[in-house]
Amino acid sequence: MSATDRHTDVNLASIIEAHSADATALIEGQQSITYGELRSTVARCRAALSARGIGVGCRVVLAAGNEIGFVVTALAALGLGAQVAPINPYSPAPEARRKIESLNADLVVLGEAATSLTDDDRYDVDVTSTGELIAGHDSQQAQSPIVPVESADVAFLLSTSGVSGVAKVAMLTHGGMAWVQRSLIGDGHQQLLPTDISLGVLPVAHILGLNIAVLSTLRVGGAVVLQRRFNPEESLDLIRHHGVTMVVGAPPMWHQWAIGDGPPDAMNTVRFARSGAAALRPAAVERLKQRYGIQVAQGYGLTETSAVVTTGRGIDAPVTSVGRPLPDVALVLVDDEGNPVDVGDVGEVVIRTPGLFAGYLDDDAATEIVLTDDGWLWTGDLGVVDDRGFLYLVDRMKNIVIVSGFNVYPAEVEDVIMQFPGVRAVVVDGKAHGLTGETVTAHVAGEIDIDELDAWVRTQLSTYKCPSEYQLVAEVPQTPTGKTLRHGSPR
Amino acid sequence: MPGSDATSRVVLGGLRRLVHQLWDIEVSGLEHVPKDGAALICPNHLSFCDSIFVPAVLPRRLWAIGKAEYMDSWKTKHLFPAMGMIPVDRSGGRKSMVALDAAADVLDAGHLFLIYPEGTRSRSRNLHKGRTGAARLAMRCGVPIIPVGHTGTLDVQPPGQFTMTPRKKVTIHIGAPLYVADFGAITDPRTHRRMIDAVMFEIAALSGQSYVDTYAGKKDAAHDDTGTRPTAPDQAVTVTPTRPTGRANGMPQPADETATSTQAPIPTRPRVREAAQGD
Repeated sequence: MSATDRHTDVNLASIIEAHSADATALIEGQQSITYGELRSTVARCRAALSARGIGVGCRVVLAAGNEIGFVVTALAALGLGAQVAPINPYSPAPEARRKIESLNADLVVLGEAATSLTDDDRYDVDVTSTGELIAGHDSQQAQSPIVPVESADVAFLLSTSGVSGVAKVAMLTHGGMAWVQRSLIGDGHQQLLPTDISLGVLPVAHILGLNIAVLSTLRVGGAVVLQRRFNPEESLDLIRHHGVTMVVGAPPMWHQWAIGDGPPDAMNTVRFARSGAAALRPAAVERLKQRYGIQVAQGYGLTETSAVVTTGRGIDAPVTSVGRPLPDVALVLVDDEGNPVDVGDVGEVVIRTPGLFAGYLDDDAATEIVLTDDGWLWTGDLGVVDDRGFLYLVDRMKNIVIVSGFNVYPAEVEDVIMQFPGVRAVVVDGKAHGLTGETVTAHVAGEIDIDELDAWVRTQLSTYKCPSEYQLVAEVPQTPTGKTLRHGSPR
Repeated sequence: MPGSDATSRVVLGGLRRLVHQLWDIEVSGLEHVPKDGAALICPNHLSFCDSIFVPAVLPRRLWAIGKAEYMDSWKTKHLFPAMGMIPVDRSGGRKSMVALDAAADVLDAGHLFLIYPEGTRSRSRNLHKGRTGAARLAMRCGVPIIPVGHTGTLDVQPPGQFTMTPRKKVTIHIGAPLYVADFGAITDPRTHRRMIDAVMFEIAALSGQSYVDTYAGKKDAAHDDTGTRPTAPDQAVTVTPTRPTGRANGMPQPADETATSTQAPIPTRPRVREAAQGD
C-alpha cells in the first residue's frame, strides 16, 4: 500500500478545516462555538487523547448524547486515526458494560448525558469524560496533526437497530461516510449551504443523526443546533429561535408535530424536511404541509450504507415512495433466485453504493449473509419500482406471512388496522396453520372492540390478509426511530 | 371493430349453440356480468380451448387479443374475428404495449375484454401468480375485473392435443367484480400487485386450484399469450443509469455507457442465506 493512498483530507476529521473561523459550528443550549473555536478545541482534545495512548487503529467508545463534547471527541479521535464507537449514553450500566467489552475498547469517554454510567472501576478499560479531554493538556500543547487515512479505513462503529435478533456492529469507513455527506450536500439549486442550520436531535449514535444531521452539516460549514432529547414544543422552539433550515427526523417526531398544535409559522425557515428510518404516513405528510407549509421528503437507507441510498428530496416523488437512488447507487430488485424482477413486481432490494460499510465487526458469518464479493448488499427489504423509477418499500422479507400460497405483508395489514379509531399501535405477524400454511395474527394496543375491528378490517382487505386472531395488548414495543420490535420467533 | 358485422353475429350465435350441444356446460355467477359497460374478464388458463368456452357462456360478446398468425389460417380467419379477437402481433415488448392500447380501446368503447392474468397456460395445473397488466389496464380504463374459475377444459383439450374431445363436463364459475378504487392509489405500483393478488385469490376459490406465487411458463415469459406484462423493449433494471464498476465477476459491460442497460448487472446471491434470517 503506497503512502499516496493515505490522505489527510480523506480523514473525516478534516471536514471542519476549510470553514471560516467566525462561522457558527455548534449550538447547545446557551452555548455556541465557531469553527475556529471548534478546531482549536478538537486539537486540544487530540493531544489529550494522544497522551492517553490513542492512535491509529485504536478504538474509542463514546457514550455521549447530542452534545458539543460528542462532536469534539469524535473528531479528535478520528483525527488520530482511531475508530469511534458511539453508544447510547442512556443505557443502563450493565448493558453499556457488555457493549464496551464486545467492542474491545481502548478508551471509554463519557459525555454529560451519560449520567447513569460512572467512572466506575468495573470497566476493564481506561475511562474518562469529554469534559476532561476538552480541558486538555494546556501545558503540553503538543501538535497532534490530523492523521492521513485511506477511504477504506474504518471511522465509526455503529450498532444496527437489531430489531429482531442479536444487534450487530457495522464498520463504517471514512470514504463511505464522506460519500453520503457529499451526496446529501448535493449541487445545483437544492444544495446544502454554509448558511444552512440543522437541527441535531436524532441520536448521534444512530446513522441518521450522526451522518446526516451532524457530519453533513459540518462538512458544508453550516451550523448544528444540538438537542439532547426530542420534545415537540421545545424542538419547535429551537427551530424558530435559531432559524433552522434543515430538519432530519424519524417518523415518531414528524407524527408528533403533525398531531400537535405548534405555531404554524414555526417552520417558516425550514428548507429541507427529511424523514427516514421507518415509513411516514401520507396523512402525516399532508398535515405537516397544511400546518407548517413544509414538504417532508422521505428517504431510504441503512446503517450498512452509511445512511442514504434513495431520496425523494427535490424530485417531486410520490408521497408514499422513498424516492430514487442517488447518483452512483445501483439498485436492483430481485426474486428468490436472485434474478431481477419485472418493473412493477416486488423484489428484494439489492444495492451497490459508494457508501457501503466494511462488514460487521468480528462477525464474518453475518457479513457474508448480506454482503457478497461483488460488492452487493442484500438488504432483506422488499420493494417495488414504478414506471418512473420511484422506489416504494413493502416490508421486510422475513416478515412475510404466506397464506395458502399468497404473500401477506404485515406492514400493509398494520397500516389498515392503524386507521381504525382507537388503535394506538399494532404488530401483525403470522403463525403456523395446518391448512393454509400460516395465518395472520395481530397484537393491538388501544381502546377498541375486537369484533368491530375485525368486521371493519374485512371490508378493507382480501380475506386471506385478514388476521384470524386478534390479541389486545397493553403496548407494542418500538425503537425510538419508530420501528416495531417483533417477537423473536424465527421466521 | 372486427366481428361486429351481421355475419359475425350469426356465426357467434351458432358457435354458442354448438358448444352447449357438444359439451356438458355448467355455469354459475352470470349475474356478476354487467349487462352493459366495460369490464375485464379474467379467467384461469389451463388449455387452449379456454378461449372457446369462456366466451361461449357469456351473455355478451367478449373481445380478446389474438396472435396475428391466426389470421393466416383460413380456418380461423372468420372464426376468431367473430369471437371478438383483435389481430395484433405480439412478438415483443413494444408490441405488447400496442396490445394493451388495443385492449384499452375496446374497454373505452364499453365492451368486455378477456385477459388471462397468468399470462400463459399453467403447465402445472396450479393457479400461478398474476401479471399486473390486467390491474393496470383496469385502473387505466376505470373498469372492474370479473374473476372466472373454470374446470374441465383440460379434459376437453389436454396439452399437445389439437382436437377437442366432445361430451366432457366443463364448469365455469363467475365471481363478483373487483373494483379498482378498493385497492389504493392508482399511481402506486403496490396497488397493482394488491389488486391482481386479490383477483387470483378469487379465481383460486372459484376454480378450486392451489395457488403458487410464481409466474406460469417462466422460461417463455417473453412470449406470453396475452401481452399483459408492463414491459418496454428497454426495460431498465437499475433505476438510474449506471455502469457496472468492472470489479464484479463476470458483469457485462454495456456498449452504451449512458443508456439504461438491458443487461442487468446481476448480483450473485450469497451462498449462506438459509442459515440465519435474523436481522
